Amino acid sequence: MKLLIVEDDRSLCLSITDYLKMEGHVCEIAYNLHEAVNKVADNTYDCVILDIGLPDGNGLDVIRDMKANKLAGGILIISAKGSLDDKVTGLKIGADDYLTKPFHFAELSARINSICRRNNFLGMNEIIFNEIRINSNDNQAYVNDKLLNLTKKEYDLLLFFMANRNRIITKESIVEHLWGDDVILTDSFDFVYTHVKNLRKKIISSQGRNYIKCIYGFGYKFSDS
Amino acid sequence: MIAGGILLYFTIKRVIYKQIDNSLITEKIIIQDQIEDTDTIPDFEAALGHQIEVKSLNFPVRNFQAIKDTDLYDSKSNSFLACRYLYYSGNTIAKKGYIITIFQVLSEKEELLKDISLYMFFLFFSLMLISILINYFIARKLWRPFYDSVNTAGNFDIQLDKPLDLPYTDIIEFQQLNRVFDQMTTKMRNDYLNLKEFSENAAHEIQTPLAVIRSKTDLLMQQKVLNRDSISLIKSINEATTRLLKLNQGLLLISKIENRSFHEKKKVSLKKIIEKSLDNYKEIMQIKKINVEFEALDDALVDMNEVLAEVLISNLLSNAVRFNIDGGFIKCHVDDKYLVFTNSGLPLTIAPELLFRRFQKGSDNPQSVGLGLSIVKKVAESYGMHITYNCIDTVHEIKLQYRSGIPK
Repeated sequence: MKLLIVEDDRSLCLSITDYLKMEGHVCEIAYNLHEAVNKVADNTYDCVILDIGLPDGNGLDVIRDMKANKLAGGILIISAKGSLDDKVTGLKIGADDYLTKPFHFAELSARINSICRRNNFLGMNEIIFNEIRINSNDNQAYVNDKLLNLTKKEYDLLLFFMANRNRIITKESIVEHLWGDDVILTDSFDFVYTHVKNLRKKIISSQGRNYIKCIYGFGYKFSDS
Repeated sequence: MIAGGILLYFTIKRVIYKQIDNSLITEKIIIQDQIEDTDTIPDFEAALGHQIEVKSLNFPVRNFQAIKDTDLYDSKSNSFLACRYLYYSGNTIAKKGYIITIFQVLSEKEELLKDISLYMFFLFFSLMLISILINYFIARKLWRPFYDSVNTAGNFDIQLDKPLDLPYTDIIEFQQLNRVFDQMTTKMRNDYLNLKEFSENAAHEIQTPLAVIRSKTDLLMQQKVLNRDSISLIKSINEATTRLLKLNQGLLLISKIENRSFHEKKKVSLKKIIEKSLDNYKEIMQIKKINVEFEALDDALVDMNEVLAEVLISNLLSNAVRFNIDGGFIKCHVDDKYLVFTNSGLPLTIAPELLFRRFQKGSDNPQSVGLGLSIVKKVAESYGMHITYNCIDTVHEIKLQYRSGIPK
């Protein structure tokens, strides 16, 4: 994917870019409103990751600009403020999603993938990893074309894993993804463990291979290495 | 007053007695003059109330006068009457002695004394009473603006955006008092708002560096060359960062609630929100084998901000799940007056009221930030709802009573 990251904090911008590059995306950077507007005018991006709090203006103006010029591409707003008004306004004027800083990169990945899937009508209705296939049109998962009977949370978990393949994701990020931000969860992350265990069992019982690796100290990695 | 009364009594008594004595003496003088001038003992009728005895002697006597008290026997009433008498012994021109004894019965005078004293006493007493009453009413009227001002100032709530509404007074001193109260409370409120703004801005600013930390540790995690020690270190950083984050978020939320950032209201269906929340926790409750009972009136609508309602319910349910035991239960009841969450759990180790305080944790869990229930309390307070926490043995109950009921 071709992505534009608009973020004025250089350190954070660099981190995001590094991470997304690891996923194989092509990343370009804008540090302020002015640069961002210029970049979207000159290039087409699959998704723009947009920080609202820019030094020379409100990031929402980038959205307005893109929509006014009928520029294509998904828009993911990232913002420290977490203000409900900003969120509502942003989505109303055309952003696809809203993520509050600080976030887990795994979450960022998942959101970007989701946006790209939704916006891209050709192909990309499916996410494939070896013998596992997820069809986002009917929200079903298949192993070797055999339907997997998953609960909603298990489906979301699988999707999350596949959007973050070959990277280590923490149990925390899984909890936040599945149960949301407000959910102040538990003493231990037993629940994550149980869900992962169930998902693994279902995949294996459909003759799928186990790609969910347990990583000591951190969480999990979905990979075939 | 009492001293005066006593003094009065004795003064009047003295006055009366003096009067009696004087009249005794006057009578005696009249008689004496008559005896000494005419050298005869007169014959006369006893004046009313007086008994007069004149005794003539054949020898001269010494001149002597005395006025004393005594009791005379009265045959008519068959009792002794108190009397005051004058005794005078003198000589006629012919050097013949005579004794005059004049008796004055006191009972009438005693009556008079008693009556006068009583009337005087009552007079003074009523005077005193009236004076006290007048004082009281004047003072009350006079001091009313003072007490009003003090009351109003005492009820000042720094969190409300209402200026102090001090009562008008035309007394200069109280005007001054009011002015001082006004200045003081205005300054207090401004300082408070500045502090709040500062802490809110600070909290916002903290988000970005926190995001940077998290992003770097995320990247760090992905590195191939990590030994056990590095992993352990990164894990600790992650945990601390998350804790900091949750803390920051929680404080920001509380601050926004106080700021009335969530001022939008609508008729929120608590039933729907609870259902959604229960659904969210469905798997967790299954894993912990928690039995859930939920009963609600369809019309349990509360006038409040929807986001806050979700936060409220989420925190309540999260608590009920978190502190529950395996195989325990959660009961939830919603009607148009109140909402109750009951759950099993370990017995409380601290007083229930303390749980609502910030950073008061019910457990030793390092991940727990201790803000959950204080957020619940803050939301409840901002809508005038009454919240109570009861714990009987191992059964915990949180009850939330909302003032606004069903819209008719």
